[in-house]
Amino acid sequence: MSFFGFNNSGHNQAAPGFSQAHNPFAGLSHRDDEGEALEFDDTYDGLGDQLEETGDDLNDDTFGGDVAPTGHGSVGRDFDFFGQTSKVANVIEEEHMRFARQQPPSKVAQHTPAPAPQSYDYGYQQQQYARPVRTGYEQYKEEPPALDDLQVDLSLWGVAPKKQQQPAQAAAPSPAPARKILSVEEVEAQMRAQAKKSPQPPPQQAPGMAPPPGLQQQQYAQQQFFNNGYQYPNMQQPPQQVPPQHFAPLQPQVPRPQDTSREPAQPAHAQPVQILQRPQSKHAQVPSPVAPSPVNRQQPPAVQTPQGLQQPHPGQGVHPTQILQNPNRLSGEHGQPSPISQPSHVAAQTHPGHPAHQGHRQQQSFSQQQQAPLAPPQVAMLSKEEQDAYLAQEAKRAKRNHKIFVMSKDNGIMTPQDKNFITRIQLQQLVQATGNPSEFGTDQSLVEDFYYQVHSQIQGGHRQHPSQPLNNFAQTYLFQTGSRQGGMRRHNRGGDNHMQRMEQQVQRAVEAAKNKPKNKQLVIEGSLGKISFSNAKTPKPLLNIKRTESSGEVQRPGTGSRTQTAAGGLSRKEALRSIEAVYDTLMKLEDHERWRPPPPVSEVEQPDEVQKSIEWGEQTARLNAKLLEALKVGAPVGVYPVHPFITLLSFNKTIKVMQRVFRHLTHQQRLTVLTLIVYSLDSMDVVKGAQVNNTNDIRFNAAMKEKVELFMLNVMSTLFNFIGELDLDLVAQLLEIVSDRNVGAIAKSKIGASLLTMILSRAEIIKHAGGGNEHSWQKWNYQYTRFFDHLAPHLPYIFPGSPTSGEDVYVWQLLAAIGIGASPDQQQTLVLQVKDRVMDTVTLAKTLPVELSTQRLNNVNLFMHSIGLDVGLLA
Amino acid sequence: MLFFSFFKTLIDHEVTVELKNDIQIRGTLKSVDQYLNIKLENISVVQEIKYPHLSAVKNVFIRGSVVRYVHLPAAAVDVPLLEDATRREAANEARKRNEK
Amino acid sequence: MTDQGDEGANVSEPLDLVRLLLDEFVFVKLRGDRELKGRLCAYDSHCNLILGEVEETIYVVDEDEEDEEPRIESKKSEMLFVRGDSVVLISPHNE
Repeated sequence: MSFFGFNNSGHNQAAPGFSQAHNPFAGLSHRDDEGEALEFDDTYDGLGDQLEETGDDLNDDTFGGDVAPTGHGSVGRDFDFFGQTSKVANVIEEEHMRFARQQPPSKVAQHTPAPAPQSYDYGYQQQQYARPVRTGYEQYKEEPPALDDLQVDLSLWGVAPKKQQQPAQAAAPSPAPARKILSVEEVEAQMRAQAKKSPQPPPQQAPGMAPPPGLQQQQYAQQQFFNNGYQYPNMQQPPQQVPPQHFAPLQPQVPRPQDTSREPAQPAHAQPVQILQRPQSKHAQVPSPVAPSPVNRQQPPAVQTPQGLQQPHPGQGVHPTQILQNPNRLSGEHGQPSPISQPSHVAAQTHPGHPAHQGHRQQQSFSQQQQAPLAPPQVAMLSKEEQDAYLAQEAKRAKRNHKIFVMSKDNGIMTPQDKNFITRIQLQQLVQATGNPSEFGTDQSLVEDFYYQVHSQIQGGHRQHPSQPLNNFAQTYLFQTGSRQGGMRRHNRGGDNHMQRMEQQVQRAVEAAKNKPKNKQLVIEGSLGKISFSNAKTPKPLLNIKRTESSGEVQRPGTGSRTQTAAGGLSRKEALRSIEAVYDTLMKLEDHERWRPPPPVSEVEQPDEVQKSIEWGEQTARLNAKLLEALKVGAPVGVYPVHPFITLLSFNKTIKVMQRVFRHLTHQQRLTVLTLIVYSLDSMDVVKGAQVNNTNDIRFNAAMKEKVELFMLNVMSTLFNFIGELDLDLVAQLLEIVSDRNVGAIAKSKIGASLLTMILSRAEIIKHAGGGNEHSWQKWNYQYTRFFDHLAPHLPYIFPGSPTSGEDVYVWQLLAAIGIGASPDQQQTLVLQVKDRVMDTVTLAKTLPVELSTQRLNNVNLFMHSIGLDVGLLA
Repeated sequence: MLFFSFFKTLIDHEVTVELKNDIQIRGTLKSVDQYLNIKLENISVVQEIKYPHLSAVKNVFIRGSVVRYVHLPAAAVDVPLLEDATRREAANEARKRNEK
Repeated sequence: MTDQGDEGANVSEPLDLVRLLLDEFVFVKLRGDRELKGRLCAYDSHCNLILGEVEETIYVVDEDEEDEEPRIESKKSEMLFVRGDSVVLISPHNE
């Protein structure tokens, strides 16, 4: 009975340390390769028990003297640690030596699954170190799901060479069985054991052939690739036991998305693999004749190798597992009957729970062996050039492999589980930092960051944007509010744009009219006679009457809201609240618009879709009703001094929102809005608060001027587009409504004049397009005449400021629009009424620079052409 | 988050930050966070003679709480959008209140 | 008036009154004897504000001349962010 209980015969092979590579937890998880169930007592080495039994006997020797149960006093201080105890210490060594001699090393035992009590003789010392084999990570090996996750992470983080290697390595169904976890010390021990068993030195270790220092590394790296071998079916040199035929079945066993996703990358990988393999093949040339194995002979059929060297040496005796353990053991391995060891390996390949630490071990062994010289003797057989080329290539490879080694030196420190865990944490942080990608495009992500997201989109996307769906939203938003946005940004140009379009419309009508002059007589007569004639008919009295009426209006404050508060309509606060309700409903409508369900293809097959569509439509209708209510459009006309809607329209924010509102109104609702505006024109603050005066410059303040511009930009352009859709009957009705109002006051404002121009020119456009039936035209002509009679006396006073101000373009447009449709008599009246302005402008134009002059004359010509005249005739 | 969102759009624009101690610092807005802390680069103090403290400083980090005003480049602000964003923010606040 | 059921427009909180002033001219009183007039472009629950077309009025009392009326300084700014912790009150401004 030895002191440490080295009972070789009956020792439990499953006990840790004795079967070193055995997964100590294998038994606990009921995965028992050996068919033995492990109890705790089995995993416990049992040494303690032995000590307990025998230790007491030796107590006397150890502590000196006879320790009788006589009392404490008998225990002296003279413990003899050296004398008796040292003998025991010797015993330890002796025991070990004896043990080692008794049990010659047997490699076979390592590879045969059968219990090999006689093996591991050399192991005790190593065993102490090898204990860390049980790292506590073993359980992870049995959790393939973790590997799955890891693969996903991998692709997520990009595949840096190191990262790529690590997980692949860890996850690879390596041909090594579970028990092949070897520490450096074990490896050393095995080397020693082999050295004993097969004393002949490996031929490639012959000195003199100065090998590239990196050869070992190449080997190492190569082994890494071998481990990953199944990923490279076109590898030239698959691991011996794993001919390509084995790869295919292997892959499905490990259901990892990474495997397939990497496939396309194979061509790129193929070359490095080949390079890395080459030294191995050379290296293996020597052993291959020594231990030719039938399996080794198998060559992948699809080999395409630029390096012919490899072809004649396809197989090699290199045992993948052994490579992993120690490259230097190569030669030793060949002494073994490889057929024997093969089955276990093949079996091991299908073993799902394989160690994840091979890389780690490998590294250790590698770093230990790094200094060992290694020179493939077959290099000598090459020609000089080939040798040079070979060496150069070796050097390159060495460099590269060293790099790989440096990069991968921490491989295997973390288990897949660890990495998985860390990756999850990182992902979580990423998601927190950037938001959930799946959330983009939803309102949730925009609620907090609305301004930035949409603003960035509007600004042309010069910033980077995290996602496309967001883009979609911004586009939707832009589509809905786009013209508003654009308009606001190009504040001045926007206005001109709209005016230009109206001008163009008038001009088109004028051009058309010019082509068929109605009053040739007037042209022939020239303007002189007319001018004198009109001088006698200066309509001063009319002016005075109208003046009193309009001057009272002018005195009213520009901010119409206050005047209306007292008038029984909406109070300011009520109005503001209503406007905010408009905005609120509008934003809901705009958001709702985004959720418009696609029209159902088939009503029968998609009842859900139909239902969705219906619900969506109902919600839209609800919101629309709400919007209309907030706009106060439905309030009875004539009850209030100022219609509530017009009160709302006196607020800048209502003016701004009208364009957006219009989008969500039906045609009928739009018509109602338009009619309301036309009906209330002379009570709108932008009309009555912005009356022009032809003696002084425009009197109203800057705020009103701004408001008028805002109104032109937002409301008038919208109305202009809408009026463009109306037929003649409706246009005639509009004209009728206007004629009932204070036409003079309306025409004296820019807004009013522009609206009149729109109505008149629309009729002209319809006329030139051949629209409208005779009845409609009769109606129109009647209304026109009525309108003209109302307006004519005011014509001299509708010009803003003096001719020098140059702000009268819109008036000339109005005059042109009137002139086109006018009868000869009416035209004559027109000329009489505005001739002063015409003459003044012409006179002024002469004093102006050419450009300005031309511009002014062109303005006048807008009108002159409409009645078949030209300023040139006046000159 | 409205103003955080807003200030993000002004990154790389020139702004003038007026602190509660009356110092006005003009510089390029480089970053902003949810507390409206502000990082300015290439700064200059508006009344350098009166406040020479920062003459040697090029970049500053300003704690949000010491800011009184930020003078903004109006051209870089989309006012209608900003108003809309404000309304949305207000509506969200109201909804949160109602949910409570 | 008729905004029932519209949580966004319901005036149930003081700040909802401020919402009515969006895009309107407002008068803002600040700590440190300052007043602002301008168009309200944005606000949040901290009373952070953005004002457009701002006119700032500062009432400066010189310490050495106690008897004198506070000196009035006036500044203009096209657009101004106002940190909420300086704001004392916000009210509609009728010119």
